[in-house]
Amino acid sequence: MPQFFSNKRLILLLVGVIFLVALISFSLRDRQNASLPEQIIKDTVGFGQSIVAKPASYITGFVNNVDELLNTYDENKRLKSRLEEFGTLQAKVNELKVENDKLKDLVGKKDDLRNFDPIQANVIARNPDQWEEKLILNEGSMSGIKVNMAVLTSKGLIGKIVQTTPYTSQVELLSTNNTNYRVSAVVANKKSEAFGLIEGFNAKRGELVLKRIDSSLPVKKGDKVTTSGLGGIFPKGVLIGEVTKVSTDDFGLTKLAYVKPAADFSMLDHVVIAKRQSISVDGSDGNGTNKSITTETGDQ
Amino acid sequence: MVKFLIPLVAVLLFFLETEFSLYSPIEWHGHLYYLVPRFLILYLIFLSIYYDRKRAMWYGLIFGVLYDIFYIDIIGLYTFLYPFICFIAGYTVKYIHQHLAITTVLSLVLVALLEIVLHQFFLLISFTSVPFTEFLNQRLIPTMIANSIYLIMLGWTFKYLIEARLFKANQSTL
Repeated sequence: MPQFFSNKRLILLLVGVIFLVALISFSLRDRQNASLPEQIIKDTVGFGQSIVAKPASYITGFVNNVDELLNTYDENKRLKSRLEEFGTLQAKVNELKVENDKLKDLVGKKDDLRNFDPIQANVIARNPDQWEEKLILNEGSMSGIKVNMAVLTSKGLIGKIVQTTPYTSQVELLSTNNTNYRVSAVVANKKSEAFGLIEGFNAKRGELVLKRIDSSLPVKKGDKVTTSGLGGIFPKGVLIGEVTKVSTDDFGLTKLAYVKPAADFSMLDHVVIAKRQSISVDGSDGNGTNKSITTETGDQ
Repeated sequence: MVKFLIPLVAVLLFFLETEFSLYSPIEWHGHLYYLVPRFLILYLIFLSIYYDRKRAMWYGLIFGVLYDIFYIDIIGLYTFLYPFICFIAGYTVKYIHQHLAITTVLSLVLVALLEIVLHQFFLLISFTSVPFTEFLNQRLIPTMIANSIYLIMLGWTFKYLIEARLFKANQSTL
């Protein structure tokens, strides 16, 4: 058996390992901000990626279309039965909207947590090793995207921005394992609103965990969960999902609910980033750093 | 022409990996299964077995850095693992027969090794709390099945491509 490593190689290996450990710990410390060389590499790779992503998304679109075509008959039957319901609902919504606008005019309230400017973006990549639930988008800080903004699809909330470079941005999905990831949410039924925080993802059930709900408030299976807008950065009223199970938390003080996410986290290609119109502050949707609110005015 | 084909294929596979991962996780019988595409490292293992270990390690280093910066923001993880896997592949192949079937099995074993090391690392820095048995069922086994299908489909193409390159290199030295 020949010698596996010569002395020179052994030293080289050891130095390399030490260097790598230093590099790993250095880059683990600050993952929110990309340094300049990192940004340049990210933007370059992102450019290449967006070229490759285009034909790939055409193919996905085609497959989806065929898939939808096969389901058309069943879907049509189901939709027809709901159409009548929809008509009356539409009339009611219009009525309420007009009334709401009038009332708002009356009180002179212009700012609304619900309003946001949508920024359209395409998903160009997903972290292939999937240990972290991350997406990379083809728009960055040049189009006004900032860290902690909400990311949605037509079905509902999917995550928030965790890092931006000039031409790309990174989204952390709701299905993440990260314990510092919180979204301020509200469960609304006809009678009351119960506030809580989305904290964590139960991988076994494939559902989000909504914690810290006041135990005196009624929360039922089937209730819709939306963002509350009180976390500081997210707009109000974005659908997150539906309650599937209610129980008490570990200490029995507050309620805990499992929420089936409305949006599908795989097969994402087109997303919208919500830029809230009213002032944004660094609250529970952000990093929760307790920075002074008055200095961070947000952009109008 | 063949000269540029080898790095070009590597770049293409690097980009394709993430396109395929957009389809994952797959839900089947109420369970989520994660398929991790490992096209690039399989290709690099083939390179280091049939072509040149040193060059494969260089490719591994470059793509490892790109992978680290673009996807995971922990520089040094894939930067170390990719060349290391290529090194092991190049080293082992001296002692075994270079039959396509054997190298296929060898590269799959190495990819499994890569996955296990990554899992242990992410457990260590508490990015994940998935225990080993769950990791085995949810990730490793589906990943290995997907990658072996891919390798069976394309392994001979890699070999053919590398042999064409080697033939060209030999011709120019004659």
